[in-house]
Amino acid sequence: MSRMRLAAAEHRRLRLRARLRRELIGWAFLGPMFFFFVVFLLIPVLGTGWWSTQFGGLTTGTHYVGLDNFTRLPDVVGATVAVQNTLLFALMSVPLILIGSLLIGLLLARISRGGATYRFLVYFPVLVPPVVAALIWLFLTNVDFGLFNEVLRAFGAEPVTWLGASTALPVLAALDVWRNVGYWAIFFVAAIIGLPEELYQAASLDGAEGFAKLRYITIPLLRRILLFAIVVATIWGLQVFDTALVLTNGGPGTSTTTIVLRVWQYVFGSNNKVGYAAAISLVFLVAILILTVIQLYALRSRRGED
Amino acid sequence: MAAQVIGRRSPQDAAAVAEHQRRAQRRGRIIGIGRHLVLALICFILVAPFYYVVLASLKDSTGIFQYPPKLIPFPPYFGNYERLLTDTAFPRWMLNTLFVATSVTVCKIFLDSMAGYALAKLDITGKRIVFMLLLLLLMVPFGALIIPLWTLVYTLGLLNTYWALILPALANPLGVFLMRQFILGLPRDLENAARLDGVSEFGIYWRIILPLIKPGLVVLAVIIFTDQFMSFVWPLISTSSDDVELVTVGVAALRSHGGVDYGLWSASAVMSMIPIGIVFFVLQRQFLARSLAGALKQ
Repeated sequence: MSRMRLAAAEHRRLRLRARLRRELIGWAFLGPMFFFFVVFLLIPVLGTGWWSTQFGGLTTGTHYVGLDNFTRLPDVVGATVAVQNTLLFALMSVPLILIGSLLIGLLLARISRGGATYRFLVYFPVLVPPVVAALIWLFLTNVDFGLFNEVLRAFGAEPVTWLGASTALPVLAALDVWRNVGYWAIFFVAAIIGLPEELYQAASLDGAEGFAKLRYITIPLLRRILLFAIVVATIWGLQVFDTALVLTNGGPGTSTTTIVLRVWQYVFGSNNKVGYAAAISLVFLVAILILTVIQLYALRSRRGED
Repeated sequence: MAAQVIGRRSPQDAAAVAEHQRRAQRRGRIIGIGRHLVLALICFILVAPFYYVVLASLKDSTGIFQYPPKLIPFPPYFGNYERLLTDTAFPRWMLNTLFVATSVTVCKIFLDSMAGYALAKLDITGKRIVFMLLLLLLMVPFGALIIPLWTLVYTLGLLNTYWALILPALANPLGVFLMRQFILGLPRDLENAARLDGVSEFGIYWRIILPLIKPGLVVLAVIIFTDQFMSFVWPLISTSSDDVELVTVGVAALRSHGGVDYGLWSASAVMSMIPIGIVFFVLQRQFLARSLAGALKQ
C-alpha cells in the first residue's frame, strides 16, 4: 500500500518535471520571436496610448493633460484635413484597385498561352518601392515634359497641371492603383483558378453566358475573398505616406497631407504637438484594429464553411 | 445513344451542326484574341512609365525638356548615372539596404520558423493568448507607432545604427502564421518516429521540419526581403547619416534637398529598381506566391 503511494508521488513528480521540460522547450522555440514582438510592437502600441495623454515635444519634456488631446483634436485644422484627405484617398484608390485587379484576374485566369509573361508584367509595378514609384510619377505628371501631357498634346488637348491643388490627391490615388493593382490581380487569379470547374460546365449547359456566370457563380463564390481584399486594401490605403511625401510633400497647401504624414510633421516638425500626433495615431490604430478583426472574421467564417 | 441520334440525322442537319460548331469555335477564338488585346493594353499602360523614366535617365538636361521627346535614346547619355554613383552616396545606400534586408531576412527565417513550429506542434500554456495577440497586431503599421518606437530606440541609444533598422523589423508576426500553416501541413508520423528514436525537439526542428518546409522558407524570405527593400517610414525616422541610410531614404532626400535635378532623379529611380528586378526575375514563382500570403493564412 505504502509502496503504491510512493509510486504515485513519484509519478506526479515525474509528470511535473516532464511538463516543465515541455514548457521550457516550447518557450525556447516561441520566446525569441515573441520577445521582439513584445518589445517592438506590443509595448509601442500601448505606448501610443500613454503619449496621447501628454502635451509637449518629443525630447523637450511633456506633462499629463488627460483626454484634452482627443477633445481638441476635431478643432485642430491640420488633423481634420489629414483625416479627410486619407479617407478620400482610400475612397478613390481602393475601389479602383479592386475592380481593376478583379478584371485583370478574370482575364488572366482564363488565358491559355502567354500567361506567365502577362503575370510578370502586371506584377512588376508592385515591386517598385513607393518612394521610387513617386519619383517615376514625377516624370509622368511634369507639366513641361511629363508623359501625361505629351499624350494630351499628341491629341491636341491642353496640358494639365497634374499636381495642382484640385488634382494632386486623385493623381496620388492613381499612383496607388498603378502600384497595387498587380498584387491583387495575382491574388484573384489564384482564387479564381481554385473555383470548382463543374459549376461553370453546369451553367454552360443551362445556357448561361459569360456575364451571368460572373454574376451568379464567380462573385458569390469569391465573396469572402473579396471581403478580405477590401479590408486589407483599405488598411494599406490608409497608411499612405511615402508617395505623398516624395510626390507632393503633402501639398499644394495641405491637399495631399495624409494621416501618417501629419503625424510625422507634428512629431519632427514641431516641438509641442507630440500629444496630438499620438492621439491621431491612436485613433488610426484603433481603426486598423477594427479592420483587422473584420478581416479575421472573414477568414474565420470561410474556414468554417470549407 | 448520342451516336445513334447523330447517325439518324439528315445530311442537312449534320451540315447545320458543323456550321454551328464552327461558329462557336470562331466566336471562342475572337474572344480569346480580345482577351489578349485587353491584357496587352493593360500591361502596356502599366509598363510604359518605366520606359519613360529609363528614357529620361539616358538624356542630358536639355534632352529631357526637348519637344517632341525622342522615344529612342540614341546616342545614350550616361552622365546622370555617373553623377549618381560619384556625387551622391548612392552605392553606400544600396549596400546598407542589401545588408539590412539580408540580415532581417535571415533572422526572421529562423525566428518565425521556430515560433511557427512551437505554435503548430508543441503544447505550451499561453499558446492561445500569444496566437491571438500576434493575430490582432498583424496589420499594425510603423506609421502608427512612430512616437513610442522612436523614443524606445532613442533611449536604447540605437538611433543611426544598423540595429535601429534591423531589430524593430523582427517584430512582424506575419511570417509566424505562414510558417505555422506550412508546418501544420506536414505529416505527424515523421516527427513521431524521430521522437521515438530519441531525437530532441531541436533535432526534429532542424533536421526534419526545416528541410521539409524549404519552399515555404523561400516564399517567406521573398516576402520579408521585398518589404525591407521598400520600407521607408521607419528608416526615415531612425537614421540621418549616409553611413546607415537606406536607398529609399537617400533617394527621397535627393528629391527634397539639392534643387531640381530630373536627370539624377531618373537615374536613381532606375538604379534602385535593379536589385529587386533581378531577384524577381530569378524567383518569379515565389514572388507571385507573395501575393497569396494572405490566402495562405487561411
